Amino acid sequence: MVQLVLREEYAVKNVRIWFRKVGLAKYISHLDLNRCMLRAIHKAKISLWYTQGYNPHPFITFALPLSLGICGERESMDLKLEDDDITKEEIIEKLNSALPHDIKVFDVTEPVMKPGKIAYASFIIKINPENKNIDEIVIQIAELFKQDSIIVSKHTKNGYIDMDIKPYLDKTVVTKIKGKIVISTMIPAGSTFNINPNLLCDSINKYLNLNLFTEITRINIYNESLEEFK
Amino acid sequence: MINNRIEKLLSNVQKPGRYVGGEINSIIKQKDEVDVRFAFCFPDIYEVGMSHLGMKILYSQLNQVPFIWCERVFAPWVDMEEQMRQNDVPLYALESGDSIADFDIIGFTLQYELSFTNILNMLDLAGIPLKSKDRHSLSQLVVAGGPCTCNSEPLADFIDLFFIGEGEEVDLEVIDLYRKYKKENRSKQEFLIEVSKIQGVYVPSLYDVTYNEDNTIKSVTPKCGAPATVKKRIMTNIDNSYYPEKFVVPLIEIVHDRAVAEVLRGCIRGCRFCQAGFIYRPFREKSVDVIDRQCHALCDNTGYDEISLSSLSTNDYSKIDELLDKLLLWTNKEKTGISLPSLRVDSFSTELMNKIKSVRRSGLTFAPEAGTQRLRDVINKNVSEDDLLKTVTTAFKGGWTTIKLYFMIGLPTETLEDIAGIAELGQKVVDTFYNNPDKPRGKSVKVTVSASSFVPKPFTPFQWEPQDTIEMLQKKQRHLVSSVKTRKIQANWHDADTSFLEAVFARGDRRLCDVLLEAHKSGCKMDGWQAFFSLPKWIEIFKKCNVDPAFYANRRRSFDEILPWDHIDYGIKKSFLINECKKAYENVTTPNCREKCSSCGAACFKGGICSEKR
Repeated sequence: MVQLVLREEYAVKNVRIWFRKVGLAKYISHLDLNRCMLRAIHKAKISLWYTQGYNPHPFITFALPLSLGICGERESMDLKLEDDDITKEEIIEKLNSALPHDIKVFDVTEPVMKPGKIAYASFIIKINPENKNIDEIVIQIAELFKQDSIIVSKHTKNGYIDMDIKPYLDKTVVTKIKGKIVISTMIPAGSTFNINPNLLCDSINKYLNLNLFTEITRINIYNESLEEFK
Repeated sequence: MINNRIEKLLSNVQKPGRYVGGEINSIIKQKDEVDVRFAFCFPDIYEVGMSHLGMKILYSQLNQVPFIWCERVFAPWVDMEEQMRQNDVPLYALESGDSIADFDIIGFTLQYELSFTNILNMLDLAGIPLKSKDRHSLSQLVVAGGPCTCNSEPLADFIDLFFIGEGEEVDLEVIDLYRKYKKENRSKQEFLIEVSKIQGVYVPSLYDVTYNEDNTIKSVTPKCGAPATVKKRIMTNIDNSYYPEKFVVPLIEIVHDRAVAEVLRGCIRGCRFCQAGFIYRPFREKSVDVIDRQCHALCDNTGYDEISLSSLSTNDYSKIDELLDKLLLWTNKEKTGISLPSLRVDSFSTELMNKIKSVRRSGLTFAPEAGTQRLRDVINKNVSEDDLLKTVTTAFKGGWTTIKLYFMIGLPTETLEDIAGIAELGQKVVDTFYNNPDKPRGKSVKVTVSASSFVPKPFTPFQWEPQDTIEMLQKKQRHLVSSVKTRKIQANWHDADTSFLEAVFARGDRRLCDVLLEAHKSGCKMDGWQAFFSLPKWIEIFKKCNVDPAFYANRRRSFDEILPWDHIDYGIKKSFLINECKKAYENVTTPNCREKCSSCGAACFKGGICSEKR
């Protein structure tokens, strides 16, 4: 209800922009993505709403920022726009013509869930076996994930700590597709508890003693009840 | 596009966005559809190089030509370099991902003497022979431009040709000739002899240098028809000079992440320490309409919400108010800010400040350069103490409480009194704050005095001067600190070690080529970065090469000595520089170009302020 009043008073429109961040765009960090999006909005001449304080600034927030080096198929960014008559289709078209090649907006919605509700994310991890025997590695990874505990070293604010990721791998499948090892997984994500998918790759490299090139893509994000984030 | 081999390295390095390309407005062509591939190399990291305006201009301009594909190359940071060397990935260009060894022309921009080792390191990382004489084919032609080409002798063994002056026209003329000679299968030597006839092209291998027993230069003799002196090129009408409508917009934050308008070239001031003030003469202004149009196009095409009005001294732009008013007509509406990178003490007004964004509340920076009026007269910095105090009074009234003052130490004729004068000037600024009835309430003042070490440069009236020894500079730094009597003033200084090496290379000759090569072999690189620079290492290298660095840095030259750069002609007459040097000793100032022409010689270019008056 509060939000409704705000909207009338300042003529603000809350929108959630959905986009893919793939290819080279995975090397854009969260802070840089923020800048990149603001520049694109400015270039597209979409009217951002600015905070009304002493030092006006736009309102922009990303539901669940991606780690550097990971692609995203369903990323979202919340914006406050001035409530003019711009349509969803216009926003998509204008933004796409202003964004780098590897970031593509595909939908604009009204925010339904709050970003704080995010609890899980699904990932596809593709591993290039290079000159190794792919079937053997697939079996080894499957075996690894069956172990009682899988200890990896996790970087935290207070240095590195050992962590067992086994409890979070119950929705993880290892297969072979088109000459690549493909791991599909759903792991805890969000602001309260988060498992970085890089830890899975670390565990594989550590236990199997490999150094293979991995491509990680976040496919989707979900709430506690495993409903798609909207 | 970068390939998988490169991409595999990126998970092991910091800021991989530096190494991937793919930015908005970067230009992709088909390599088999162009005749000349040009690798534009900046000998520092991506964030620094991408901020450089000259590269933006020439990148866009070269790519306008259908048969040229110009790509960008930057020095990888040490972590990436290590990965590249371990995995045999050669230095590559960002647009194609191809090794720069495959390019026709490899061009470096020389912005700073301490980047010279990076040039060798970059060539080495691409597997290109370092010395010009070891590269036999016409392709892999290594060229260089930029301010440091005014004395390029320390790089003479490595670079095939240098561009002297402004590149917009001469680059294209050289590439045209290259294309013709490539089609005709002509040799590199034939090309170099022919290209040396183009004004603004210096081919060092066509000049023989001999030395006297005291290591000074005996003679510089051109051969194969090369001109006795190489005259710089300039764009006489900068309104008609090429300016890009688009900048490559980086994916990661760079040092100067904004749209840049070039409002003028050259400088009217003639400060005697300042190389840029002489080598970019004559002073030329762009017209208001052209700047306005170029700014608007840039913002439209990049999405930047800030424009920097760039030049050596933007306050000297004669129509600054008219320009700002014209820009404000659309920038306010489009929520775009305007900033001025450099401010002169004597031209600060609150009206001006209210129109621009950058100085909102962050603090103001001024450069009096010297602590006493006598020394300011010596260096011809025509700024008085009254000017400064008037300016800071205005600033304090406007609510600013942080002032930064830039100075140089080690200037010719300087005494410890002049050093103490820096602290005294800082104190007077502090006093002005407290004597000001309109000062912001409940706030304290903070004055930072920052002292860099003077480096004598070619083509300035101080080109004959010795640099203070490191010991003397450090003594002066200590004297500055002990002269500061209040905690309201913070004194900073720059490391004297790097200034010493800068002084060696700024006025070096060809005997330094061996030193550079040895430094490269010893692993010297990124010398401009404090973390990597080691003077003891360099001293060892000088010893090994039997070269005395003090000969270049700390020796007073006589006016009749042949200087390593005497065969390069920037239009400024040597007699004028000698006269300016003598006037400096007498504490006599020289009026600026707008007040009175001092016949420096730049009028030979028949442009800008020199021809306005006649």
